[in-house]
Amino acid sequence: MKRRGFLKAFFAGTLLPLAVPLLDKLPGGNRLRRFLRPPGALPEKEFLDTCIGCGQCANVCPNKCIETYGLDGGLDNLATPRIVARSKGCILCMACTQVCPTGALKKLEPTEEGMRAVAMGTAFVTESICYSFSGRTCGACYRACPLPGEAMTIGQYEQPTVHAEHCVGCGLCEQACIHMPQAIRIVPIAELRERDTA
Amino acid sequence: MAAGEKSRWGLYGKGLLVLSLFTRTGVLALLCFLAFSTEYANLKMGHNNARLVELSAGKPMRIAYEWTEKFLSLFGEPEEVVRTSGGMTWSIRVLGMPFTDPIAALSLLAKHHRWTWSIALGLIAPLTIAFFFGRVFCAYICPASLAFFVTSRIRSLLEKFFYFPDIRLHHGVAWGVLAGGLVVMLLFGHGIWTLILPYFAMGQTIFQAIAFGTLSVAAASLGLFLLVDVLLGKQFTCRYLCPTGRLLGWIGARQAVTIRRDAAHCLESCRSCADVCPLSVNPKVDETRDCSVCGECVTICPTQCLSIGREKR
Repeated sequence: MKRRGFLKAFFAGTLLPLAVPLLDKLPGGNRLRRFLRPPGALPEKEFLDTCIGCGQCANVCPNKCIETYGLDGGLDNLATPRIVARSKGCILCMACTQVCPTGALKKLEPTEEGMRAVAMGTAFVTESICYSFSGRTCGACYRACPLPGEAMTIGQYEQPTVHAEHCVGCGLCEQACIHMPQAIRIVPIAELRERDTA
Repeated sequence: MAAGEKSRWGLYGKGLLVLSLFTRTGVLALLCFLAFSTEYANLKMGHNNARLVELSAGKPMRIAYEWTEKFLSLFGEPEEVVRTSGGMTWSIRVLGMPFTDPIAALSLLAKHHRWTWSIALGLIAPLTIAFFFGRVFCAYICPASLAFFVTSRIRSLLEKFFYFPDIRLHHGVAWGVLAGGLVVMLLFGHGIWTLILPYFAMGQTIFQAIAFGTLSVAAASLGLFLLVDVLLGKQFTCRYLCPTGRLLGWIGARQAVTIRRDAAHCLESCRSCADVCPLSVNPKVDETRDCSVCGECVTICPTQCLSIGREKR
């Protein structure tokens, strides 16, 4: 009899959290589709399995570029960290990778080697709207790049060329771009991998 | 038992209650402070100068900045302290010392099948405390419990004018919430705990509000829990819904420190201890499971036959 009471209560209890997925069915509005994970993040699927959403990375980020998701990224992303490069790029200080308790962000040192080991995404220039490509010398993105000469080189009229193999995707160029909308964008590594496998 | 000794226990209980209010406020203040430390680190990196902070962010921010700097200097180099502290009661790091919620560890184990040293180290303190002292987390640390405490007082105030039911459920419900939560977690991700665990919701709300000035979705779930508390029963969430409380109660089933009853002085007709208990423990029948050592029953007992001490076995 006692066991029966427990089982009844237990099953009633299991039903309560099942209401949570209904939130995912709410009309989405403007769901942010393109975002970066902090440096050192595991591949996206593994990252989602590992990140418990404690917010320590966002807490220590001295640049305040790491935000945590609300419902705008769907339930999967709830409470996980994101970086929106256009509002604030990552300065690659690696503070977040030092504190992650679960290893969702791999530990990286704030050195040049550590910086080069980051793979958050790759920058792509939209030449049709870039000032430098339409004869007005700009170079803002190049000045912002933490790996100038490696990840990005400039030519005539400071026209930027991104070298995908060295670009870490920190997003500082996207943040710095003076054109509105931005003429240089970071495509997150997850999206690039998805594209490669497709 | 001498008369002087009797009244001492009542005071002792009140002392514990005051202490618990104090520590809970402290934890809330810590969470607010940690959230603000993000802003501080930002200003420190950007300006490193109080006058520049005032010029760019205004006088109140300068004052906050200067006080934060002074406070952090007590523990060492301010930037270093900020770098080694952060998080919320779900998983927190204070001066480099990690603390992990057992549910967070369980969730990670269920989904990722792997732990890290940080998680394991962080579990030591919570599990040890739960083993010896039971659910003290609920009465002394849980940042949401202060809100529940206030709500229960509001509820008893409102009860003078309205009727509210006091629904009692089986303890199995919280185990069900834990199991259901784990299933939903496996489907969606660890983030859903922000909506299920009140203290995580509180942490998330505070962090989002102070560090980013946004209202977190977790605030809605916290509000829902408080509403349930008012409408369905005193401390309903803590008693029947919170899986962490249930888990800690289970770990501390044989807790060493708990309520003791002096049966010789206990009144037959009195039920005040059972009525006042926020976690629906009934000290009257020497039931001590789920006791959070909050001291409310010790304070209210008219004959002071309750005390807190080592469980005799």
